[in-house]
Amino acid sequence: MEPIINEIYTSVMEGEADAVKEKVQAALDAGLAAPVILNEGMIAAMGEVGRLFEEGEYFVPEMLIAARAMQAGLALLKPYLKEADVQSAGKVVIGTVKGDLHDIGKNLVAMMLEGAGFEIIDLGTDVAPEKFVEATRTHGAHIVALSALLTTTMPSMKATIEALIAAGLREHVKVMIGGAPITQEYASQIGADGFSPDASRAVATAKSLI
Amino acid sequence: MKHRDRVLMALNHETPDRCPLQISFTPEFASRLKAEMNMGGSALHNPHGGGNTYELERALDEDLLLTSVGWANSYYQDADSYIDEWGIGWRSAPYDTPYGVGRYTEMVQHPLADDRTIDSYQPPDPNRPELYHEAEWVIRTFKDEYWIVGVTVTTMFECAWALRGYERMLSDFALNPDLAERLLDIPYHYHLTAARRLTQMGVDMIWIGDDVGAQHSMIISPKMWRKFLKPRMANFIAELKAINPDVKVAYHSDGNIYPIIPDLIEIGLDVLNPIQPASMDPIKLKHDYGDKLCFWGSLDEQHTLPFGTAADVEAEVRTRLTTLGKHGGLILGPTHHVQLDTPLENFWAMVHTITQTPYASL
Repeated sequence: MEPIINEIYTSVMEGEADAVKEKVQAALDAGLAAPVILNEGMIAAMGEVGRLFEEGEYFVPEMLIAARAMQAGLALLKPYLKEADVQSAGKVVIGTVKGDLHDIGKNLVAMMLEGAGFEIIDLGTDVAPEKFVEATRTHGAHIVALSALLTTTMPSMKATIEALIAAGLREHVKVMIGGAPITQEYASQIGADGFSPDASRAVATAKSLI
Repeated sequence: MKHRDRVLMALNHETPDRCPLQISFTPEFASRLKAEMNMGGSALHNPHGGGNTYELERALDEDLLLTSVGWANSYYQDADSYIDEWGIGWRSAPYDTPYGVGRYTEMVQHPLADDRTIDSYQPPDPNRPELYHEAEWVIRTFKDEYWIVGVTVTTMFECAWALRGYERMLSDFALNPDLAERLLDIPYHYHLTAARRLTQMGVDMIWIGDDVGAQHSMIISPKMWRKFLKPRMANFIAELKAINPDVKVAYHSDGNIYPIIPDLIEIGLDVLNPIQPASMDPIKLKHDYGDKLCFWGSLDEQHTLPFGTAADVEAEVRTRLTTLGKHGGLILGPTHHVQLDTPLENFWAMVHTITQTPYASL
């Protein structure tokens, strides 16, 4: 592996956004291919961030700054990836469901999925079922990811799945859910395809659904 | 038995006549309950949840009465968007339940998001006499009968994250520790001033709180917690105990905070709240720390209360009484304000099982 790719990997791991930008630019200037920088430098680093999170070595701050550093590099890479016609790992429409304004968990999932090469369409919080339907249709999403922190808003997840069925989209899109009170049992009960207990494992869940 | 004696016995790891009880509600659940109990309205009191009235709490045979000073009183100030006295912007979104529409207020604007605003920021004044009028009245009126709790939750971390914004605050911990220290000092000084004053006024317990646990693990590493929060908490507790060595200190953090419980015991904590059973195993907690720490809460507000049956609720109360509450050391209650999606039969199963189960019958 090129030394500069190693440096990008390390800088992402350590959450050094300025260093990532500088090194991604240096790698591009040196003629390295954008997909190589993305996959071997940044996505590989975020995979390691996820592994360390699952093992209890990284916590939210470390995950957060790594994801921010990756995003800084990704912004530089995007035009080159487009030029090289690099496809994302999949398109994910994500949001916190209607009635719920909590976005911490949803944002972490979005960052980790982006770090794994997914394209993210983030609809924010308090998102009505019809907004999920519209975004799924407009963007041709592969996955709809729903978040809820409150027990009182968990029924909005079911309502969103029902809206996808009513719109005739359910067969074309996978649904994954998460949030503090959510369990696999609840996911099965409302007919979601996947559940994840945290932001890191959401990546494995999303990959398994594509 | 007087309510306050019941609590004191439990906190001294003795077995009172029955387990002490403390419950708070969201405003919408409190309205339902008041209608059910044919109770008139009265001034609400905080902390956040905002649905509690002392009449309601006393009618339910609760043993602790709470009075709150601090930023947590900013929750539920209005149904519309509002800016609180700290400059933090709030809004709420309605949610539907089988029992009507509720709202949950959430912070959406953070006055210290820009680094340049931090040095010139003026927090509210914690010495305003009017902040303590409710506490004076509660102590004067009820202390003979009830265990009075002065509430200064969202003590440092949560209030600092509301001022700064969650992601910025967590990034500061990792990237800009000096700035993080300055941010934490703002609510720390405010709430310490309030807690000292409440202690001097004669409350029986101070309740501090900062959520550092997520559902399955800590939000920040134990190492980071020890660097930023533990020293402040240690000093906070020491200052209160210097004013009154008998004052108890309770600490609230949602989620799993297993790794720092020995530290909390080391710095003099008396009571841990709320013990979410899906996050930390109550039996293991009692086994590992039950001789050094008391517990408050533990009735599952994520599954059993909203989605279980009345029989499930009764069974959970009984399990807690014979495990986490064995030989005292427990104040029972839900792990969060009772939410609007909770069936009243579940609520009454909780209240009646607690109030009608003498320890001697177990």
